[in-house]
Amino acid sequence: MKPLPYTDPAHQAAHQFLVEEAALLDAADYAGWLDLLCEDIRYLMPVRVTTARGAGFDALADMGHFDEDMYALRKRVQRLATDHAWTEDPPSRTRHFVSNVRTFRNGGVELRVESALLLFRSRGDTREADLVSAGRTDVLRETAAGLRLARREILVDEAVLRTQNLAVFL
Amino acid sequence: MNFAGLQLESVLADVRRGMIPAHVYGDPEIFALERDRLFARSWVFLAHESEIPEPGDYVVRRVLADSFIVARDESGAVRAMFNMCLHRGMQVCRAEMGNASHFRCPYHAWTYRNDGRLTGLPFHDEAYGGEDGFPRKDQALLPAPAMGIHNGLIFISLDADAPPLPDYLGDFAFYLDFYTRQSTAGVELRGPQRWRIKANWKIGAENFAGDSYHTPHTHASVVDIGLFREPKASKRKEGALYVAGPGAGTTYKLPPGGDFAGQLRYVGYPDAMIPAMGAAWSAQQRALIADSGFMVSAATLFPNLSLVHNWPQIDDSGTVVPFISLRQWQPVSQRETEVLSWFAVDAAAPEEFKRNSYKAYLMCFGSSGMFEQDDVENWVSITDMAAGSMARRLNLNSRMGLTSAGQPIKPPLDAFAGPGVAYQGFGEFNQRHWLRQWSDHLEREK
Repeated sequence: MKPLPYTDPAHQAAHQFLVEEAALLDAADYAGWLDLLCEDIRYLMPVRVTTARGAGFDALADMGHFDEDMYALRKRVQRLATDHAWTEDPPSRTRHFVSNVRTFRNGGVELRVESALLLFRSRGDTREADLVSAGRTDVLRETAAGLRLARREILVDEAVLRTQNLAVFL
Repeated sequence: MNFAGLQLESVLADVRRGMIPAHVYGDPEIFALERDRLFARSWVFLAHESEIPEPGDYVVRRVLADSFIVARDESGAVRAMFNMCLHRGMQVCRAEMGNASHFRCPYHAWTYRNDGRLTGLPFHDEAYGGEDGFPRKDQALLPAPAMGIHNGLIFISLDADAPPLPDYLGDFAFYLDFYTRQSTAGVELRGPQRWRIKANWKIGAENFAGDSYHTPHTHASVVDIGLFREPKASKRKEGALYVAGPGAGTTYKLPPGGDFAGQLRYVGYPDAMIPAMGAAWSAQQRALIADSGFMVSAATLFPNLSLVHNWPQIDDSGTVVPFISLRQWQPVSQRETEVLSWFAVDAAAPEEFKRNSYKAYLMCFGSSGMFEQDDVENWVSITDMAAGSMARRLNLNSRMGLTSAGQPIKPPLDAFAGPGVAYQGFGEFNQRHWLRQWSDHLEREK
C-alpha cells in the first residue's frame, strides 16, 4: 500500500496530531495526553532482540516494555501526578522528535500512521542524557472530537535500553 | 583514577559489623575483587529451560564479560558453552536467541554442533595435514566449568570445584518453589526485558533480599493511586524476613483465619490453579501460607538473582492478580548494571490468568514498572554519591534490628514454618546476610 501524498488533508491532520501530541508530552501535560487516547487503546512496545538474519523475528511476540490498556495508562499518569513519583522529581527534560511520517488509509474511519521518534531525555545536572530511537505504527481513529489514538506499537531500536526506566511515554 | 589503596581487611570488618564503607558501591578495586573472587566462583543464574524448549533452541547470556551459549542439543540436553571459537577466539554466536543445529564461526568457518562439538574445519587436510596436524575429534567449545539445573533454572559456576548446586541452594530451595514450581508443569519465563542502569549491582540484590523498610516511602506513589487493595506501608512491617541458605527474602502477612486455598485466593490465584499448588508443595511449604500466614514477596539468591511476587489490582473493578518476576543484576562495571527482568508464570495456568498476570507484572516491575522506576532512581543516586572521596569517610549504618551489643532487638519468629531464621517487622538481617557472603568471597584468595 502506498502512503497518502503529503498534500492529502488526512496525512496533514495525522502529522499535526503527532506533533501536537509530542508537544503535550514534552510539556508533561499527561492529562491532556490521555484525552488524545481512545478508551480501547492498546499501547505496546515489544522487547527488541538481536537475532540472526533469517531468523524471521527481531522482537519478542510475548514480552513488551509496555503492553497497556487505558486502566494501566491512567494509573501511570495518576502516579506521575502524585508527590511521590521520585524518578520524575526533579522531572526529566524531554524532547520528542517526530519525523518520517507516512499515512495510510486503512479504510473506514481509521488511519495507519508510521513515524520515527527520537526521544532526548536529560535529568539532573551531571548525568549523561539518554536517547531512545524508535519507529511507531499508530492507528488514528476519526471521532466526533477529532483524531484519537486507538493503537500504538513502538518498535524500539535497541535490544538493551540505555535509559534508566520508561517513566516517560514514547 | 583513585590511589586511595584498598584496605580490604578493614572494609570487610566494617561490613561484617553492619557499617558499610560507602565507597564499596562505586569502587573499581572492589569491583575487580568481585569479578575475580566472587563471580569466578559462585553459582550464577544464566537462563531457564522454558526459554529453550526445543532441540536447537538457544539463548546467549553472560557472566560479567564471559559470554555463554545456553543451548538444548539434539538429544534434548542443556549445554552451556563458552562462546569463543577455539581457533582465533571469535564470538561464535552473535545473536542473543534463536534455533540452530550448528554454530559457524564467521572468521574461518569452524563449525560446532549445538552440543559444542567441533564438526566442521575447512581444508582440514590441506591446512593441517588432517588429524595428524590437528586432531578434530573431541574438540568442543569450552563447557561451563560447572552447571546445575533446579526447577528448570540453569546455573553455572566458573569454578569446576564449586559445591554441587543442590548443596549450594540448601534451604533456599524451599522458597524457590513458591516462585518456580507452582505445579509439576513448572514455570515458564518470558523476556527478559534488558536495560542498563548507572547503578552498582549490589544495591538491587540487597534491596530485594530484605528491604521491606523502603516500601512505605519509596513506593508511596503506587499506594497513592490505589494500585493495591490495602495500604502497603502498614502491611510491610507485619511481614516476616527470612534468611535461608544463600538466599533471603521478604513476606507479607496474610489476613488471619484463612486456610491454604483461601489465602491463595486472597492474593488472586484462581481456583483452577490452587489444587496443583497444593500438590506441588510440601506440607511444610503449605504450612508457611496456611498456618504461619505468610506469603513470599521479594527475595535474592546470592549473588545476583532476585525474585518478586506481588498482587496488584489490574482493573477498575479491583481484580487482584499476582505476578512473579525473576531478575538478574548483571554487573557491567562498579557503576553500571544491566538488568534482565523476566515475567514468570506457572506453565499450566489458564491462559486468562497468564494474560492478567503479565499485565500485573508490566505495571509493577521491569523497564516500565511503577515500582522499579523509583527503586532504580535510588540506586543510581547512591552509586553517584559513592564514587567520590567523601564516601570513603562514611560508613552506612546497616544495623537495623540489632542492639548496640549486636543482639536482635526481638527474638526470631517461632511461628514460621519455613527453614532458616525469620524475624517479623523491619530489620536489615537479610542484607547483612547477603553482605556476609559477599565478604567471605572477597577475602578468599584461592
